[in-house]
Amino acid sequence: MKEKATALVIDDEPQIRRLLRILLEQEQYRALESDTGRHGLSEIALRRPEVVLLDLGLPDMDGMAVLERLRQWSRVPVLILSVRDGPEDKVAALDAGADDFVTKPFESAELLARLRAIQRRVQVSAEEAVFEAGHLVVDFNSHTVKVKGREVKLTATEYALLKLLALHAGKVVTHKQLLREVWGPNAEEQSQYLRVYMMHLRKKIEIPDAAERLLRTESGIGYRLMIPRQKS
Amino acid sequence: MPGERIIKFHESRGARTTIVEYIIAIALTGCVTALSLAIEPVVGHAAVSSLYLLLVVVAGFRFKRESVLFVAASSTLAWYTVFIPPRFSFQIGTVEDALIFASFFAVVVAMGHLTSRLHLKEVAERMRERRTAALYELVHQAGLAADLDSGLTAAVKLTETLFGVRAALLLSRSDGDLAVDAHPASSFQLSKRDSAAAAWAFGMRRAAGKFTENHPNASALHLPLLTGSAAMGVLSVLPAAGAAFDRSERELLEAFAVLIGTILERDHLHQDLKRAEIIKASERLQRALLQSVSHELKTPLSAVQAGIEALRREVGSPRSQAALSESRQALRRLHRMINNLLDMTRIESGVIHPNLDWCDVAELIQAATDLAADGIGETLVAIELDANLPLIRVDQPLLEQCLCNLLLNASANSASRAKVVIRARVAARQLFLSVLDEGSGISEADLPRIFGAFQRGAAATTGGTGLGLAIVEGFVLAHGGSISAANRPSGGAEFTMKIPVETLQQEVLERLA
Repeated sequence: MKEKATALVIDDEPQIRRLLRILLEQEQYRALESDTGRHGLSEIALRRPEVVLLDLGLPDMDGMAVLERLRQWSRVPVLILSVRDGPEDKVAALDAGADDFVTKPFESAELLARLRAIQRRVQVSAEEAVFEAGHLVVDFNSHTVKVKGREVKLTATEYALLKLLALHAGKVVTHKQLLREVWGPNAEEQSQYLRVYMMHLRKKIEIPDAAERLLRTESGIGYRLMIPRQKS
Repeated sequence: MPGERIIKFHESRGARTTIVEYIIAIALTGCVTALSLAIEPVVGHAAVSSLYLLLVVVAGFRFKRESVLFVAASSTLAWYTVFIPPRFSFQIGTVEDALIFASFFAVVVAMGHLTSRLHLKEVAERMRERRTAALYELVHQAGLAADLDSGLTAAVKLTETLFGVRAALLLSRSDGDLAVDAHPASSFQLSKRDSAAAAWAFGMRRAAGKFTENHPNASALHLPLLTGSAAMGVLSVLPAAGAAFDRSERELLEAFAVLIGTILERDHLHQDLKRAEIIKASERLQRALLQSVSHELKTPLSAVQAGIEALRREVGSPRSQAALSESRQALRRLHRMINNLLDMTRIESGVIHPNLDWCDVAELIQAATDLAADGIGETLVAIELDANLPLIRVDQPLLEQCLCNLLLNASANSASRAKVVIRARVAARQLFLSVLDEGSGISEADLPRIFGAFQRGAAATTGGTGLGLAIVEGFVLAHGGSISAANRPSGGAEFTMKIPVETLQQEVLERLA
């Protein structure tokens, strides 16, 4: 059995903390709890958890402030777990350095998938040369993309877009981030390009009758390349 | 008002006629001649000429141009006749005499001319100074007043004191017309004739009434209060009987009108700003309130859901699993209900402002279908898109929610495994987004009130909240669009959202990229 990962829950609601602990321990995490932002920050510094679940509405300081302070010295993956469900709130949290978000009330399966995805981001290293998700295979060395074993031709921009999404597979990537990394820092507001290229990319890599589509739209926020659950 | 400087601009100037000045001139010349005769034995006849020069200089400061010339001529004549030998006779015998006479005359005329010019300059200077002081006074008293009404009262008072008139102010109303009643600060009420002249001045943005070509038979002069963009009202001045305004007074009055207009405009802008701030503050409050209600409702819901899911993950009897599954369904329904209530509250408190961004219609429809997937069960969704749809600028999350609700509604009113069609087209800068079902349709009684809150069709299945369509309408209206419902000739219902959009053809983009 693999070594247990430590997850820190920062939430002021004791019931939520206790239930998250049960869920996390069912999934072989070691769970830590904090009821305030300040305590949470010192726990991260002292106990070095592998992943953090952060509520935005904390009694002592706003979750956004916790995030901003944390990002000055730590790259630990942070999952926002909040009742705030507006796209603006989510984009603000992602811009401030959160890795992903789940809104309350949450589905356990979704929460755990997001946790795995943001932890995976840390584990993925540049050496990993091949990315696989369902019917899609991307070979980063040869820059080739295969759908159901058949190679498809992508333009340089389409490939750059797909590569970025694949490197963050399972995790939402914001419009701004995609535009900045693929088109350059001056293109952050040029969302029309992103829309057109996503349209093309979809046509090339999605299979109409697939059980699950790979490219998910997070409306008003960004896109997510899904990793279908392996059938075991 | 004690301690206040009042500059009187309007003063009665000496209306001396030229004849009177000539008589005074002759008298003065006589006096100077008498004085000169008295001192001539002591100082000699050459020195007395300076007395005549003095007289001309003094006249230059007090008299009109032609009178000064007259004084110069009479002085020269008197000096020459009385003091230049042969005395008491006007004889120019020698060339020398002629030279003396001519040069003295020239000097005297030049002196007179110079002093009178100096005098005129000084008068103009004094006038300018008064004008500046008057405008300063208006800014000080009216512009810096604590509130608009006391400012306008001060402006009216100042106009009356400075110009010796009675003044009235008519302000423009919020509907853009001129008010009928004068502002309370006014000191006279306009007659019918004057009101007409004032309305003309306001409408044409030009002076009207007495002393003008427009409505000259009115008893007052009406000046529009002009600012760069609009007329803010009219300043009406009623001169005392028989009095008139000269050019500089008229100019100053017009400057007053502009300044009062500016004061009014500043006040309007200030009011607008204050109103906008109040709206913003109340929206902030609404948002905070909604956020806190949302938090209070959803936190226990999250706990219950997490608890049920934790139990489901433990191995249990099939019966307990079935019970948990039912609880989970009920919880989802409660969650939907809470979300709908919160959305409805947001719509009603007017805090929804669409956040526009470019959007691919196909992507929007796909995302909406994903969103509805849980709630529409076996229903088959067919998507009919126009080829080559342009990109459109909309609030994608908002419209997705609308489309999702329409899908849920269509599915709830259809048999299981029935077909629902989503149709999209863009024409004339409008997005038409329709959801068509093959269900029972809408009864005639329900049609007019189908978008009302808590309205549920007679045939509706359980599980709906009665808010879905009301939310769609609220969101669509917030987006500047409209929604309609109708029965299809072939059976079933059809809902169409019509949203005004900015469009961008894809070919254009591809060329750019």
